[in-house]
Amino acid sequence: MPTTPNPALDIEGVQWRPISPRLIPVRQISVAIFLGLPGLVTIWPAVVVGSAMWILPAVLLALTAWLLWLIPRQVRSIGYAELEDDLLIRRGVMFRSLVVVPYGRMQYVDVEAGPIARKMKIAAVQLHTASAGSDASIPGLGEDEAARLRDQLTARGEARLAGL
Amino acid sequence: MSADRAGESQVDWRKLHRITPLLNAWKVAAALIAIFVWQYSDTLGQLDLPTTQFLLVIIGVIVVGSLIGLGYSALAWSRTRYGLSPESVYLHSGVLFRQQRHLRLDRVQTVDVTQPLLARLFGFASLKIESAGGAGSNLTLSFLTEDEAQRLRNELLARAAGVTVSEAADGGQAPAAPAAPEREVLALTPGRLIGSLALSFWLMAFVLAGAVLIVLAVVNQSLAPIFGVGPALLGAVAYVWGRFAGEFAFRVATSPDGVRVRQGLLESKARTVPPGRVQAVQVSQPLLWRTRGWWRLQVNIAGYGAEETTGSVLYPVATTEEVGRLLYLVQPDLGDPRPLQLLEAGLSGTGGDEGFVTSPRRVRWLDWWTWRRTGFRVTDTVTILRTGRVWRRLVIVPHERTQSLGLSEGPLDRRLRVANFSLHSTPGPITPIVTHIDADVARALLVDVADRARRARRDAGPEQWMLPRTAAAAAAADGAAPDPTAAPATFGGILPSPPVRAVYGGVLPGHGAAVTDEPVEGGRMHG
Repeated sequence: MPTTPNPALDIEGVQWRPISPRLIPVRQISVAIFLGLPGLVTIWPAVVVGSAMWILPAVLLALTAWLLWLIPRQVRSIGYAELEDDLLIRRGVMFRSLVVVPYGRMQYVDVEAGPIARKMKIAAVQLHTASAGSDASIPGLGEDEAARLRDQLTARGEARLAGL
Repeated sequence: MSADRAGESQVDWRKLHRITPLLNAWKVAAALIAIFVWQYSDTLGQLDLPTTQFLLVIIGVIVVGSLIGLGYSALAWSRTRYGLSPESVYLHSGVLFRQQRHLRLDRVQTVDVTQPLLARLFGFASLKIESAGGAGSNLTLSFLTEDEAQRLRNELLARAAGVTVSEAADGGQAPAAPAAPEREVLALTPGRLIGSLALSFWLMAFVLAGAVLIVLAVVNQSLAPIFGVGPALLGAVAYVWGRFAGEFAFRVATSPDGVRVRQGLLESKARTVPPGRVQAVQVSQPLLWRTRGWWRLQVNIAGYGAEETTGSVLYPVATTEEVGRLLYLVQPDLGDPRPLQLLEAGLSGTGGDEGFVTSPRRVRWLDWWTWRRTGFRVTDTVTILRTGRVWRRLVIVPHERTQSLGLSEGPLDRRLRVANFSLHSTPGPITPIVTHIDADVARALLVDVADRARRARRDAGPEQWMLPRTAAAAAAADGAAPDPTAAPATFGGILPSPPVRAVYGGVLPGHGAAVTDEPVEGGRMHG
């Protein structure tokens, strides 16, 4: 699955790697559970009471539908690239962002996976620098890829370690 | 960590000064008394006692509170010891919950000698050593005698700088590291501090609110409005007083140990910021200061969280000429042959003077007032971000201090083909960001700054900024900078897996301005 081309944030000569498409069902499932399910449940009082009570399920279900449609686009927009000295991450459909994190600035790496993500064998890798501003997380990497990236980042961070 | 453990055996453990419990006791006592009054104020009011007995009760509470405070402080003092090894400083403390804190000296960000009012009156001081672990990542030794605190500070800084202090052979008191020669650069007059506060937004708002309240009270013949907003007014008074007392007698000096900042009316503070610890500098000007041409200088230092306010101030009120001198202390090389003109354009200029790149004309209906002001400039050594037309702001980030870089754009930005560029710095008062830059330019900027930061990191000086400092170099370092030709003899064991530091001589330590070939001549900023 190629990442969606994104002319504004494409840097010349950078080969973007997509993340695992399995993140799409993971995110969709959690949206279905936390938004869709309450939407369905609130239909019952709406049926009983009528009229005005329909607003709640309508809003919830509309939001669910919109997110279910949006998530594949969002996930496809996420890409990363390992350059010689920096890790590049880009994301976003409406609000796009691109982060460049030098390996030498890395303080530590997190690999995290929720229960649904674990079932789907994906994990998120997050790089932490001394700055709170650098939001360098890559969600939805296959477990092997996450482990490889974690080790790679650690090794490269060590090789290029810089002071603060 | 084996080296560290080896170091611990040669630590000479010392105790804090005996006076510590007395100086600390009043805090515990005050807390106890406050709690007592809070809890029993109603009961006390109902007690129908003669005045003498009532006073006796109060005195009794104070005495008991003080004794408990003293006892606890004495216990805490007896369980506290600190030590110094060639690599680290140690503090073991705690009564119920024991804490052992070891701080690596090459990670020291700043060293403060603080004297709260009481300690100051009796000639004692506390020493605070800040490391880069975020808020609360410091090691505080309180209290020591003033001389001891200064001696320890000199020793710590000398060791952190990589100067080896030869231990006495008989295991006795180590010879004191010579105090680094110091030269005063600027001192703030009380008049200007008062003037700056008078022209601050908060005081204006405060005076205005007060006037309105008095008018209201007179018109309504009641004091209710004043009582209603009393707490808010008190807060404003406390803020202004805090600024005044904290920034009173502000002095900046330079020494080979770094920039030394002294401040404080009641509680005095002497902070030393070693070279290369400043992550970003911000020069800002509230609207009302423009008539006087005053600027406020703030810095980001790793280890101070965003909530640290006084420590982040490099100078509270500076004239434009003084801004140049202060910037020279923390970033001697702006990477431009005409630094003063560059600074002038950055501080108050608009448009493309001195190589600034601004927002494109097409965003003028969005930023009708600021689009010609918002801009950036990248030099060989720093990235300069210029923003704000009403509240002018200039942010300078050395390339070797940028953590990571970011570009972002929203739907509106995309339609206008612009993007926002941010440099990620350590937490602090400064957030370097410049908005609405032409998308292509912003992308090129990102690539350019990333590349320069990479080179700057590679060429950055070691964290121990003076390796080794010979007596001659120290003497030559009387001015703003140590002798740049004092090439380090050894890098051994300083940094884990150090990259090859090809360039060190020829630049000021810690300011790895390796892109410039020639040594930075002192006084460049002064013209």
